[in-house]
Amino acid sequence: MSLEFLNAFKFQKKNTFVHNLDPRAKLLFSIVYSISALMFTEIVPLFIIFLTLIPMILLGKMVKEWIRSIRGLSFLVIMIIVLNTFFISLGYAIAMIIRISIMITAFSIFFLTVHPNDLALSLISMKVPYPYAFSFSLAFRFVPTIANEAQNIMDAQQSRGYEMKTSGLINQIKNLFPLLVPLIICSIKRAFNVAEALESRAFGSFKDRTYYYIIEYKFKDWLFTIYLICFFIITIYVRIHFSFMPEWFAWEMGV
Amino acid sequence: MHLIEFHNFHFRYKKNKEYQLNDINLKIDDNKFILLCGQTGSGKTTLIRCMNGLIPQFYPGFYRGYVNVLGKDTAETPIADLSTEIGIVFQNPENQLISMNVEHEIAFGMENLGVPREEMEKRIKEVIKLTEIEHLLDKAPFELSGGEQQRVAIASILVLEPRVLVLDEPTALLDPSMADKIIKLLKRIQMEKRVTIIISEHRMDLVIPYVNEIILLENAQILEHGKRDEVLNGENFQRLNINKPVIYSVFSKLKHEKLYKEQVPASIDEAIRYFQNYN
Amino acid sequence: MPQDYPLIVVNDVDYSYLNGTVALKKINLKIFKGELVGIMGKNGAGKTTLIRTFNGLIRPTNGNIYINAENIKSKTTGTLSQKVGIIFQNPQHQVFSNTVEEEIKYSLKSLNLSKSETQFKTDEILKKFNLDKYRERSPLNLSGGETKKLAVASIFCRDPEILIFDEPTLGQDAKEISFFIELINSEMKKGKTIIIVTHNIEFAMEYIPRTVLMADGKIVADGPTKKIITHEFLVTKSALVLPQISQFNLALNKIGIACPDTIYSKNTMIEFLADYIRNKSKVVSGENN
Repeated sequence: MSLEFLNAFKFQKKNTFVHNLDPRAKLLFSIVYSISALMFTEIVPLFIIFLTLIPMILLGKMVKEWIRSIRGLSFLVIMIIVLNTFFISLGYAIAMIIRISIMITAFSIFFLTVHPNDLALSLISMKVPYPYAFSFSLAFRFVPTIANEAQNIMDAQQSRGYEMKTSGLINQIKNLFPLLVPLIICSIKRAFNVAEALESRAFGSFKDRTYYYIIEYKFKDWLFTIYLICFFIITIYVRIHFSFMPEWFAWEMGV
Repeated sequence: MHLIEFHNFHFRYKKNKEYQLNDINLKIDDNKFILLCGQTGSGKTTLIRCMNGLIPQFYPGFYRGYVNVLGKDTAETPIADLSTEIGIVFQNPENQLISMNVEHEIAFGMENLGVPREEMEKRIKEVIKLTEIEHLLDKAPFELSGGEQQRVAIASILVLEPRVLVLDEPTALLDPSMADKIIKLLKRIQMEKRVTIIISEHRMDLVIPYVNEIILLENAQILEHGKRDEVLNGENFQRLNINKPVIYSVFSKLKHEKLYKEQVPASIDEAIRYFQNYN
Repeated sequence: MPQDYPLIVVNDVDYSYLNGTVALKKINLKIFKGELVGIMGKNGAGKTTLIRTFNGLIRPTNGNIYINAENIKSKTTGTLSQKVGIIFQNPQHQVFSNTVEEEIKYSLKSLNLSKSETQFKTDEILKKFNLDKYRERSPLNLSGGETKKLAVASIFCRDPEILIFDEPTLGQDAKEISFFIELINSEMKKGKTIIIVTHNIEFAMEYIPRTVLMADGKIVADGPTKKIITHEFLVTKSALVLPQISQFNLALNKIGIACPDTIYSKNTMIEFLADYIRNKSKVVSGENN
């Protein structure tokens, strides 16, 4: 499974309707859609839910990234088809694939359009204590740095004879040590450096803290939230009264 | 009252047996550009950490004597309070930039201190002009070059309006022309804002022309602290095994040969002035 | 003394990162056995990218690299690292063993030597670098300077033909730099080829005979250090700074003191000024007579 599919979750700054929505509205969106997807095992309702995601993808101009994420999932998809068809039915397998696509797409939209700063701010507005929200965004901030460091470590170790490729499971595990140990040590040292820099910038007195950036729920965020609530109510209603749905709605594949 | 005062100060880190600082007596006053030099291991970084309370509050250890910042004891006063008087820029700028973009980075320290938004905006505008980073506000830290990172780090400390700005080998990772720009920026900061700059550096040639005072550190003790020209022409500077400025080496040799009788010039410009008068 | 066949040949090499940034453009370079070459240029010019192509960490998108007349395309970095040893800037990126001794032994592991040979080489290198007393110590408990020595030692013990240093004088004081210079001299005597990537202009002026100057991924100059880094145009183009003596030389000329441009070292400048001062005082005393 290629790591490329992680790109589908990397924030990109754009000026679209979706990007400009409040991050909390988008979090609600991801949660609502995921729960809705979990409520059904039938192909048609899941497919309808999936179709309602497409306008979001188009509005957010994320088609390319979304396709990349689905492509990266191809291995997983094949596994699901094989296992589910074998143990249950092809129809069920397809339904599962649509369900997973909905959940991944919903969260992918969230991560692609929410800046990590805003993420921390939304956590704070939901009364998460500042140190936790801050550690969260700090982790995001250092991911590229640590990735870069890992690359440098690989370069340094290879320069003294370390071979990246070895055979045998035990050897492969042993082979991780020369990479992981320096990485962990460097990260710990970095943590100390960051901590002392933070102290030197008055980090610590959280009570009187002010915020430079603010997130505000605007009119379009309220509209979007209302849409989500209606959507959710409708899906619950359909689930409860499923037996009253037309026949084509409950269609299952014969296999 | 001095900006920083060390009085008979001794310190050793908890896990070390030897003292990293031995009987330090030092007085730092305002509007000065001070060079801190000594061999690696002489105690420079440790001394710097004492200036804003990181030692002994963040780095536990054993100490005697006291360090005062504008009369406040660095062992008792919260580091957050001291951070408005003493700003420290550490060696690796990458590990000091903690935000996802430059604008927020600069605001961060002020957020921690509870500065109101309008004041934050005002100070940011001023500081980014001085450090010439207006065009970088939206960038993420890993998108910046070494020199840009260093300027952002300096800006993010400057915005807290400290009386002293301490820098631990700020040009270490920079190429020569970028290093030169940073040193010039620091001199501008000293002169425009009357902030005392204390800089620990190996790259003597770049820094010495701008310096007012020199502190020589050897084996955990202050060997000498005085006006630049006095220290430069003294025996201690001669004897220390540190990277000496090229012009210094040339003229101290000439002095040794009794061909030159004045004070050793601290810059090429000073050396040229000597020869102009000589003619 | 440098010999006649080029040990390293870089032929029309290009390299672009995955995101499209072009890091190396049409690099052509020949380095002869026994040479001491400096690679200089501002940060981002391509210096560290270039050295990484020598041991296969980076594979060119176009062009070829030959070491000892063999194309290195098909060789792994692990194999190439036996011939080409790169000592990177940050020693923290490689130390991971429990003791200093084990750290050296790990470097020797891929050479497949006998146990006694490994022990012998380990003892030898620890003595050479004055690290013998830290043998049993954890590498994490060494000072910055000692960790750097350990990193250098762990490449030296493999005895590669070609040694490449990335910014070796960074953050080093005069004592550490002297040790480094001694080290280079002893390796040169053994006929090793040494490449040093550095910003340290004064160091390059004094100790490195040949400089390859890079800017924007290209080689803009390749020749005697003294000619290249005293050349105003080249220096500005590659965002470097003229060495102090050169700056002083130019300034003297500006005020009418005819300092010849062959004067670019401390010693020759001292001699020149000494002569100038003596002559001046002779003239003055002559006038007074």
